[in-house]
Amino acid sequence: MAEQVSSSPMFNVQIDGVWHQFPKGTRVIEACEQAGSYVPRYCYHKKLSSPGNCRMCLIEMGFPKLGPDRKPELGADGKPIINWMPRPQISCAQDVADGMGVRTNSPLVKECQRGVMEFLLINHPLDCPICDQAGECQLQEFSVDFGTSQSRFFENKVKKPKNVVLGPRVTLDDERCILCSRCIRFCQEIAHDDVLGFVDRGSYTVLTAHPGKRLENNYSLNTVDICPVGALTSTDFRFKMRVWFLKETKSICTSCATGCNTIIGTREDVIYRQTPRENDHVNSCWMCDYGRLNFKFLEAENRLLEPQIRSEGKLVPADWPTAITQAALELKQFSGPEIAIIASGRMTNEELWLTSQVANSLGVQLIDVVPRRGPGDDILLSKDRNPNTNGARLILGSASEPGAKLMGIADAVKSGQIKALVILKENTMHLGIPVEQLAQLPVFIVMNILPNDATEKATVVFPACGFAEKRGSMVNGKGRLQRLNRAVRPPGNARDDWEILRDLLQAIGGGDSVSSVDDVFRRISETVPQFDGLTFAKIGELGVHILQMDELPPTHPVDEEAIEQAIAVQAARRAARPARS
Amino acid sequence: MTASTNISVPAELGQKMDEAIGRYPSEHRKSAAMPLLHLWQEHFGFISDEAVLWIANKLGLQPINILELVTFYPMFRQEPPGKTHIRVCRTLSCAMAGSFKLMENLCARLGIQRPSDGEGMHNPISVSADGNYSVEFVECLASCHTGPVCMIGEQLHEKVDPHSATDLIKEGRSSGRPATNGGLETAAPRQWPPHSLEHRLIYKNVGRPGWTTDIDCYLRDGGYEQLKQALTLSRSEIVNKVKNSGLRGRGGAGFSCGLKWSFIKPDDKRPIYLICNADESEPGTFKDRYIIHEDPHQLLEGILISCYALNARTAYIYIRGEFPEGAKILARAIEEAREHNFLGKNILGSGFDGEVYVHRGAGAYICGEETGLIESLEGKRGYPRIKPPYFPAALGLYMCPTIVNNVETLCHVKHIIAMGGADYAKLGRPNNTGTRILCVSGDVQRPGYFEIEVGAVTMGQLIYEMAGGLKPGRKLKAVIPGGSSAKVLRADERFKIKEKQPDGSVVEREMSIDEIPMDFDSLTAAGSMAGSGGVIVLDDSRDMVWVLNNINKFYAHESCGQCTPCREGSLWMQKITDRMLRGGGVVEDPKTLKTVGDNIAGRTICAFGEACAWPTQSFVEKFPEEFAARAQKPLPPPLPPEYTPEELIEEELIPTLPMAHDPGWEKAGAKGTI
Repeated sequence: MAEQVSSSPMFNVQIDGVWHQFPKGTRVIEACEQAGSYVPRYCYHKKLSSPGNCRMCLIEMGFPKLGPDRKPELGADGKPIINWMPRPQISCAQDVADGMGVRTNSPLVKECQRGVMEFLLINHPLDCPICDQAGECQLQEFSVDFGTSQSRFFENKVKKPKNVVLGPRVTLDDERCILCSRCIRFCQEIAHDDVLGFVDRGSYTVLTAHPGKRLENNYSLNTVDICPVGALTSTDFRFKMRVWFLKETKSICTSCATGCNTIIGTREDVIYRQTPRENDHVNSCWMCDYGRLNFKFLEAENRLLEPQIRSEGKLVPADWPTAITQAALELKQFSGPEIAIIASGRMTNEELWLTSQVANSLGVQLIDVVPRRGPGDDILLSKDRNPNTNGARLILGSASEPGAKLMGIADAVKSGQIKALVILKENTMHLGIPVEQLAQLPVFIVMNILPNDATEKATVVFPACGFAEKRGSMVNGKGRLQRLNRAVRPPGNARDDWEILRDLLQAIGGGDSVSSVDDVFRRISETVPQFDGLTFAKIGELGVHILQMDELPPTHPVDEEAIEQAIAVQAARRAARPARS
Repeated sequence: MTASTNISVPAELGQKMDEAIGRYPSEHRKSAAMPLLHLWQEHFGFISDEAVLWIANKLGLQPINILELVTFYPMFRQEPPGKTHIRVCRTLSCAMAGSFKLMENLCARLGIQRPSDGEGMHNPISVSADGNYSVEFVECLASCHTGPVCMIGEQLHEKVDPHSATDLIKEGRSSGRPATNGGLETAAPRQWPPHSLEHRLIYKNVGRPGWTTDIDCYLRDGGYEQLKQALTLSRSEIVNKVKNSGLRGRGGAGFSCGLKWSFIKPDDKRPIYLICNADESEPGTFKDRYIIHEDPHQLLEGILISCYALNARTAYIYIRGEFPEGAKILARAIEEAREHNFLGKNILGSGFDGEVYVHRGAGAYICGEETGLIESLEGKRGYPRIKPPYFPAALGLYMCPTIVNNVETLCHVKHIIAMGGADYAKLGRPNNTGTRILCVSGDVQRPGYFEIEVGAVTMGQLIYEMAGGLKPGRKLKAVIPGGSSAKVLRADERFKIKEKQPDGSVVEREMSIDEIPMDFDSLTAAGSMAGSGGVIVLDDSRDMVWVLNNINKFYAHESCGQCTPCREGSLWMQKITDRMLRGGGVVEDPKTLKTVGDNIAGRTICAFGEACAWPTQSFVEKFPEEFAARAQKPLPPPLPPEYTPEELIEEELIPTLPMAHDPGWEKAGAKGTI
């Protein structure tokens, strides 16, 4: 992007008396913001078309005064004299032009802003204390900055529908709607689902969906994000928490390989919402509803809270040192070829690296991650539902593609060749290994956050962390290295996955000690060429590209095929398995 | 509601729909949405939920796209009407002539309980208990000189006696007879012969005995000779003639037609469109009605010459929905012209192809704004576009170069070809050339249309000589000179008007309202505008608050609602004048009205902002005594808090005295821990 900018011609623009330079194609409203003169706006959204309907971004605009020779007349400062247009102009729909002048805080502009604020508020409910948008409402914010506190309006307000269920996840209060049309444009231009529209006319205009259609596309909650007021609300979040109490943690979504950048809103170790965080390299300003709401499992009733070991045929709670020691002892009974490790494409690079160290210490060859596939779309949702397939590819070694060894592992378990199975953050269901067979394994070590049928059969159970409970890094489907951050603490005695793996590694007797995620990352950067020169801190909030698409392993398309095949085989085996009574 | 519909559409209707779809480029089927809705409503009486789904499906659109239209355009009904549907004009000239009384009497005679008119919201139709009749108030029907008017079914009824609604109903019931005189009832006397101060060019045949809308009649009178002549000229020759003629647009803004045309690059790769704006709906204006209804071929000839000059192979006539007969007359005229090869392929052997289609609006004043019209023609709500970047000549219909001209303007093109640009420019005054049609309505004895040489007649001549003067015993109070959006002129004002002399010098003259020449520049200099030529005369019996309220209601009803100041401000102004009329005016009201107007004008997407603000600004400014008289109550206590944010930030203005009911305040405040 930076290269594009430098190659476009630069225009001189005077903003509030100071001359600046902007590349051709810069919107006036953006130029003003870059120059430190923020222009308020409601309908304008930089990722959507500009209808210019809210009139909040009115500014004064002018162009160089031309002399008889059609050349700009210069003032005493050697700069062009500007002829100001008598009428205010919107700044959201025009690009900068050379010699353009802009005033964002003149008396006329302030009068326009006060006027528009007054108009927007006359029919808007003034019940801010009980509005769910309070605290992040642009009507509130701009009232403070550009409005007045006194109302001159004595008439009856226009009544409109309230509490309209637009779809499974979005609820609308039409009285709060300021008709900016951002949501309509989002549905048309980004989600490609032309479902919202305005009905009726004038001051009675109402936002709605056709009664026979619902706003239920997988991007519907983005309309809530871009709604500048309290009209569109998330049915899941509304009235659950005042937004000013939310602690915001920048992280990424782990529901697919896209790795949308997010803000996790929490209070006292409870996640209330996830919202997209702008990153033009990844997700623009959006994320899908599926990923956004995919955090509820962290609060599941049946979270694994205590380490457990098998004692006299039963799983009993244990403290961490006991559980780790037990696991190490069990594993060391067997030689490398008798052990298999199934890791997860949902694990971070750091966790995967430690896993590979465990494998190396034990001489394990059979190590793989479980592919996870689902329908994708052409917007954000990837077919690869693992957030870190590329990380697994890089760190576990590229001798074989993720998932390629799985069938071999499953067959080796069944044939009895494998005596010890370590399964990290995955469910054996995905492998088609019958639970009964797992029960026959002398050693079966499980690390997970939720129990499943197989957990019952484990010899050691490690309760671990979900995506919002830990730090770490992942490489998304397009090769961008990004960071997860801890938004909440794990429940009970559950521990950060990397710590569990480090302790296990030490107990086995392999490797030297690392004391933080940053340390682990440094080791990765020393051993994996694509991470060379990077530190955890250098990843930054927006991530760094470490793989260009064309640098991705050449087996990528083959990989797709192999994975599809593997899934088909798994499915067939599952189908063939006798139904449990 | 499910997506499947059980409605069976008759084959004939389906065929008409397919024909309608064929009038638009195949990649812009959405344009056919309004024609389909019209066809559906004509057949089934209203637009049902199923209709929305059916039409959306037919055009490959989402149902919301159709619902958006049905609810934007008031002519589309979502409920079945009575067997006879009566639309009464609510707007100023008709209201002054008694249309509210007419509605009241109609409802009483028909036993219709009509809910009180909502504050600016379109009141749905009200149906009688027996289902035989339904009534509806509509905005200006563009027959302001024959008010009060109403439409019974598709038939316009003029000069209706508000007190004898029963006669009207009997008449309406038997009105199945074929339309005569271009679909106009002839209760109003024809204006023939023209007044001696008139110079009839466009209206040469309007009201003329023996004149019909047939092409044969038109051809006998030398019709289409100018088209033939134009086809022998080069495009630039025609454009230059129009430039030299000094023709200014007759739709309202008065923009130079030649200059507008010169924005089109004839070598543009994209198709070029010409749109004839026949959405005449500015209250007080009814000039285009007579061109369309009585001389359609003149318009068609003007359009075809313009098409050729602009290299526009397709022209659409966007005619307001309330002119159903007009649309039929134009459609017939197009077919007649086609038979004579005046349009279609290879017109008169010139190699030029040109098609003209009629597209009906459906009751939205905003579609008279050229970009609102273009959106409407594209099958959307009539939301005007922002300029820049959407100047029609660059990014118009279907994002192609487009010229939108008013009906009267396009007719003038024919006469410019006939006379030559320079000779045409000799008509009227410099920069105000040609003739134009003025429409006089309101408190005069002989309201009507008058075609004059621009500026050759003064306001006084127009009112007293041509329109017969005021009613006996009445004095002139005010004139709205260019359609209801023009700023009002007070009868006792003195105007300073600069006049350009033939030698180029400028002389300033002070004059009374009677002396103002009826041209573009003089009316602008007088602080108003010539607008669309609709002159509304108000005598001393009129309550100016009532008049403004009627105008406010029009604009609140017609605001498209797209941009904030107009959407919110137009209804607010109406609510204030509503309250003043109810006796609840407070002292601040005149000031509030004015500042609301100030906050709209110049800050909106389109000129509707000015159109709705100017009446309020000018009425309050020019008749302060009347507004003050109705605004005498003390200001109600404002809502707390009264602090501005700036004041709150300045510490000394935050109340520091302990509050009696809050013992904790003093303590906390004293410790500075609050």
